[in-house]
This record gives sequence, structure tokens and C-alpha cells, in this order.
Amino acid sequence: MAQSSQTKKRKGILGALVLVAGAIGLFWSLVVAPPDAYQGNVQRIMYLHLPSILTAYLSYFLVFVGSALYLWKREKRDDLLAHSAAEIGVLFTALTIIEGSIWGRPTWGVWWTWDARLTLTAILLLIYVGYLMLRSLIEDENRAASAAAVLGIIGFLDIPLIHMSVYWWRTLHQPPSILRPDKVPWENVHPSMLTALAISFAGFLLLYFYLLSLRYRLGEMREEIKARRLERGT
Amino acid sequence: MGAWGFVSLAYGIVWGIILVYLVLLKRRYVNTAAELDALKSKEATRSDAKT
Repeated sequence: MAQSSQTKKRKGILGALVLVAGAIGLFWSLVVAPPDAYQGNVQRIMYLHLPSILTAYLSYFLVFVGSALYLWKREKRDDLLAHSAAEIGVLFTALTIIEGSIWGRPTWGVWWTWDARLTLTAILLLIYVGYLMLRSLIEDENRAASAAAVLGIIGFLDIPLIHMSVYWWRTLHQPPSILRPDKVPWENVHPSMLTALAISFAGFLLLYFYLLSLRYRLGEMREEIKARRLERGT
Repeated sequence: MGAWGFVSLAYGIVWGIILVYLVLLKRRYVNTAAELDALKSKEATRSDAKT
């Protein structure tokens, strides 16, 4: 397999870091951080919920960048980055919706409601599931990549809408407690909660880059197989 | 279900799904790597036979 031992070593180190950050994050979120004054222990779901959606946003940002670069330069590696990031973005968006649903049941009394932020997040998920389906439905690879790139760019516009939805519409979803324009985070949230959130987010980011590197390399290998087969005429 | 029940459900489902995705991704990775290796060794055998 065409993978240097240095790359393997790097992946091994990244994998180990994911495990360490995950374990510390779990301990801090479930044991060290205090329960919320109003919601009690159920608020601990936030240490999964916020890092998941921020990781999904990062992923869709990479889809946006990869798609724009692909439409501009027509280089396969940019399309590969966008495709890999979209797949993992879908995973983290689905996780966000599941966590939110489980958190919603004890706090709002329902598993799901057609609230603006929830609905826009569900639309975000559908857009990128559509992105992945589009790629498999169009036979011509270049056409599929171009069409997906356009959808990848348009889909990204949903993210500012999701962020602003709690200000623009009357929603059940609470406004941000941490990313507020009028307050610095430590004025609003207990330092131990912020630490738990930071460690958990670091763990999610490390996990994200680990998954992305695997998925990207998988795409590269598939491209190499296709190119070799084309060369041999099989 | 109590608060800790919902917390356990959320953490269990999330880490479970991530683990399943990781296993599936690794499986796809290993299979593709094996396919590429087989293709390379076939090509090497052919070029050896020609020379």
C-alpha cells in the first residue's frame, strides 16, 4: 500500500490523541463540571451537542472551500476534500439532531418540534445527504463533481441562517450562552463548564481530522485504482 | 427516565454511532488498500513478464 511509515505514525499519534482527549473530555463533562442551576444534570448533553454542531459547521466550511476551488481550478483533490468533508459533516449533523432530540425531551417535553433552528438544521442535513446522493446518481464523474460543488456552496448558506434563527424568529431553542456578541464567555458560564466544553470540542476536532484523513486517503486510493484500470483499459 | 438516563442515552448513542462509522470506514479503507495492492502487484508481474 502506498502509504509511508511516517504517515502511518502520524495517524497513530492522532488516533491516540483522540482517545486521550475523548477520555478526559468524558471525565470532565460527566464528573468534574457542575450540574446546571436550572436544568440539572441533563444539561451535560451540551458537552456533546455544541462540539458536534461546530464540527459539522467546520466540515461544511471545508466542503464550501473545496467546492469553490474545484469549480475554479478543476483539480480532483479539491473535489475529494469536499466529498470527504461532506460525508463526515452529515455524520456530525445527524449526531447533533439526535443529541438535541434527547436533550429536548426532558427540557421541552418533546423529542422534536418544528422550531426554526431545528428545522433549518434538518434542512442542512437533507442538503448534504442530497449532495452525497447527487454524486452517486450522475454517472459522468466530472458533471457529478460540478453539480455537487454548486450544491455544496449553496448549502453552506444555511449555516448563517441557523445561527441567526434564534434572533430573527421566536424560537423554543435558546439563544447562544457562549458565543454571544454582548458578553465574554466566562461572564456567563461557570469556568469548569467552559473547560469541559473546550476539552470536549478539542476531542471532537481531533476525531474529525482523524476521520477526514482516513476518508480523504480512501478517496485518493479509489482515484488511483480508477486511473490504473483506465491505463490498462480494463 | 431520569436526567442521568437521558445523559447516558445521548452519550451512548453518539459514541456508538461514531464507533460504527469508524469501523465501516476502516473496513472500506482496508479493502480499497488491498485492491490497490493487488492491482500494483499484477502490473509488476506483467511488466516483469515483458522484460
